[in-house]
Amino acid sequence: MVRKITLIVHYIISALLAFILGAPLVLLLFNWVINRKEPSFLPDSGLLFLIGSSLLLSTTVAVIATIVGTSCGFLFYKIKSNGFPTYHNILVIPLLISPYIFAVAWRDALYLLFGQYASIYSIWGVIIVHVIIFFPIVMLITGSALSSIHSTLEEAGVVITSFKKTVLRIILPLIKHSITLSFLLVLIFSLTDFSVPAFFGVRTFTTEIFTQFAAFYNYQQAIEQSIILLLVSCSLILLQFRYLAKSPVFAIGQKGSSSKCHELTKGKKWIHSSIAFLIIVTIIFPVFILIYQSLSGSHSYFIEALVSLKGAIGKSFFLAFCGALLITAVAMFTSYAELRSDIRLPGAMLLFLFVTPSTVLGIAYIYFYNTSATAFVYASPIVIILGYAARFSFIAHKIIGNGLKQIPLSMEESGELVGINTYKRYTKLLIPLLTPSLVTTFLLSFILCLNELGTTIMVYPPGTELMPLKVYTISANAPVALTSTMTLVNLIVILLAILIFYYFGKRIKTRFHYD
Amino acid sequence: MLRRGFLALIAFVFFSCGKGTKNEVVVYCTVDQVFSEPILKDFQSKTGITVRPVFDTEETKSTGVMNRLLAEQNNPQCDVFWSGDPVRNIVLKSRGITDAYNAKATRQIPAYFKDSDDHWTGFSARARVLIYNKKLIKKDSLPKGLNDLTLKHFKGRFAIANPLFGTTTFQIAALFTEWGDDKAKQWMSLLKRNAVIIASSNGDVKKRTMTGEILFGLTDTDDAFEAMKESADVDFIFLDQQPESTGTLVMPNALSIIKKSPNQENGKKLMEYLLSKETEAKLAKSCAQMPLIKGTEVPEGIPSLDRIIPMKVNYDETAKVLQEIQPWLKQWLEK
Repeated sequence: MVRKITLIVHYIISALLAFILGAPLVLLLFNWVINRKEPSFLPDSGLLFLIGSSLLLSTTVAVIATIVGTSCGFLFYKIKSNGFPTYHNILVIPLLISPYIFAVAWRDALYLLFGQYASIYSIWGVIIVHVIIFFPIVMLITGSALSSIHSTLEEAGVVITSFKKTVLRIILPLIKHSITLSFLLVLIFSLTDFSVPAFFGVRTFTTEIFTQFAAFYNYQQAIEQSIILLLVSCSLILLQFRYLAKSPVFAIGQKGSSSKCHELTKGKKWIHSSIAFLIIVTIIFPVFILIYQSLSGSHSYFIEALVSLKGAIGKSFFLAFCGALLITAVAMFTSYAELRSDIRLPGAMLLFLFVTPSTVLGIAYIYFYNTSATAFVYASPIVIILGYAARFSFIAHKIIGNGLKQIPLSMEESGELVGINTYKRYTKLLIPLLTPSLVTTFLLSFILCLNELGTTIMVYPPGTELMPLKVYTISANAPVALTSTMTLVNLIVILLAILIFYYFGKRIKTRFHYD
Repeated sequence: MLRRGFLALIAFVFFSCGKGTKNEVVVYCTVDQVFSEPILKDFQSKTGITVRPVFDTEETKSTGVMNRLLAEQNNPQCDVFWSGDPVRNIVLKSRGITDAYNAKATRQIPAYFKDSDDHWTGFSARARVLIYNKKLIKKDSLPKGLNDLTLKHFKGRFAIANPLFGTTTFQIAALFTEWGDDKAKQWMSLLKRNAVIIASSNGDVKKRTMTGEILFGLTDTDDAFEAMKESADVDFIFLDQQPESTGTLVMPNALSIIKKSPNQENGKKLMEYLLSKETEAKLAKSCAQMPLIKGTEVPEGIPSLDRIIPMKVNYDETAKVLQEIQPWLKQWLEK
């Protein structure tokens, strides 16, 4: 009886979620279908070629980022050596800088070093910048999966064969799902990014969609092309659906098991030099150029940047905080409903929203929420928070889903048998056990929300000031020194926020005696 | 405790989000925030009307504001659309999004810079100029007109912004209108043959000139003035200024009232304010825009419409041509 009620509640919440987050997109697609003039939906050969070349570019990015990220993940999560934890934290920084700012900084760094940057205006420029931005995602995903491998499996391997064979035959096969997932996520991120290829003048399928929006104001065509992009992304994911459905994204915590760490004995110098090179290329170059440019102005722009961002910092934090809370709550529900009640629709909807281009999502939300009945949503920052949830809940869904998989169902069932009510089972049993996953989800979502621009710029209520909006809208004609200083202030503020959340996260972890 | 805190937070989000005063005006603006925001703030402090702006960004090629206006057509949120050139206003007019409004202040603006049906009114203009690096090329070696860009000795040493976006599209559309399709297409082909560099934006053209990557490039006066503030190595000239030449393209800012907007009266007040000598003087000072109202105070060194030969443009026709040539421009770009 209780289960039936729970199931009904799950269906109701699923329907509500589908209505709030997914219905705008469905309505937009419906409008597109009824307004279509062309009976054929098949892209012409030119477009097919463009899809092919964009896929090739993104696959190259995904392959390189997966190799670099998995190697880093292996080093930082499986090898003990001085400095590795610091390297790990430093190499996460590219995730905090927007791809566009990164592209500009990298180009300027090249100019400063070599006196020219023509070579970066090419496919290779896009590949390099995308790899730098996206490899930390792979590092985090595979690294976390590596840290959840039970030590006995590796020890057994090392006893009977060499370390190299243990890695190739035991460790890598155990994390193959995470590798596949990271590869796909990077591929989709790269495929759907507009800012870097547009900046480097490289034509991709996504820049083509934006051209339809920005130059031709041709919604029908833009949406049609977005649907093709959606189909491509979805089919890529569906091909690997069983990996996505079953693979861990982040294996947070060991839940009783412990992972083996190896000492770094051979090739210390070589490995440290390689990591140092990676840090120089990915962090030092761009951050140095931002500092250099911020100091190159006729006067210090630091105060000006702070004053300019003053109003935006608080609001950005507040909205990102609310966004992260909502995303965590949505993901908690969808993963629970999927694993415990076998309701898969919300998860599928989140995947669909995740691969939708941000401009299309923005337009869908305008159509749906810009009515007199829903003005309280559209005329307020609630629409921004919904946009955040639509864009990033899928990643959160996977993180929490994996955490949930590690909690045996028997624990909940025993609680139920001894008469603990549903609310207490959630708050006293499930949530404490899921705390590490929830904290990580919250932190990652917070960072993503804080930097989100694509959908926000389409829907933000007039007069709202947010950090990424402010940096971008001001960058058009402000002195380079001011833009660079604002980007640095942005970065420092995000880092500070993460440190604060990290501190509270640790306290929560201690409070629940997780270790 | 945790539950109460969470409920309080949700309540706070809902109540803080909805705050908005009735005495307000919503303006969507494609003009660089760094120049437009101070003017809007001045209006707010002078009238007490809260200005709620939406600005656009170069990164997304100004998709935000235009696509918002189009998507919001059935339930407009914007009162005044302030565009950096009249093309967007003309597109909006053609889609029935703007309303006619003949502001009192409009009388001061020459008829040439206004829509005949009052759907948009121009003020403070920018012009297309040639920005160059003084260290790399002397002034007398520069091209005198757009046709000179096809000269062999400039091959691969100059840039224009992506011709599918912004004022570059407008300039090319004006050339198609002035020269006719054949001549304009031939000129574009010769540009391509002369290895013109396609920059991502006018700002990018400015930056490449400042760093010395290129000798010169086409951009707008406000970009050129900003470059001169940042670097002593940069200067600019107006092209096609000989008596028999076509003249340089002049692009006024353009204002439109949005049909069925929620705060029309305040929108009209804002329009009156923006179409004043005071605003034109401010824009002349902050970003070297050329006033259209005679007798506006202009700082020294700021170009004036009286001292340049402008291209004679029919903005409506140019906007129409612009939409017609865009598929061709796209092909040209992809070749």
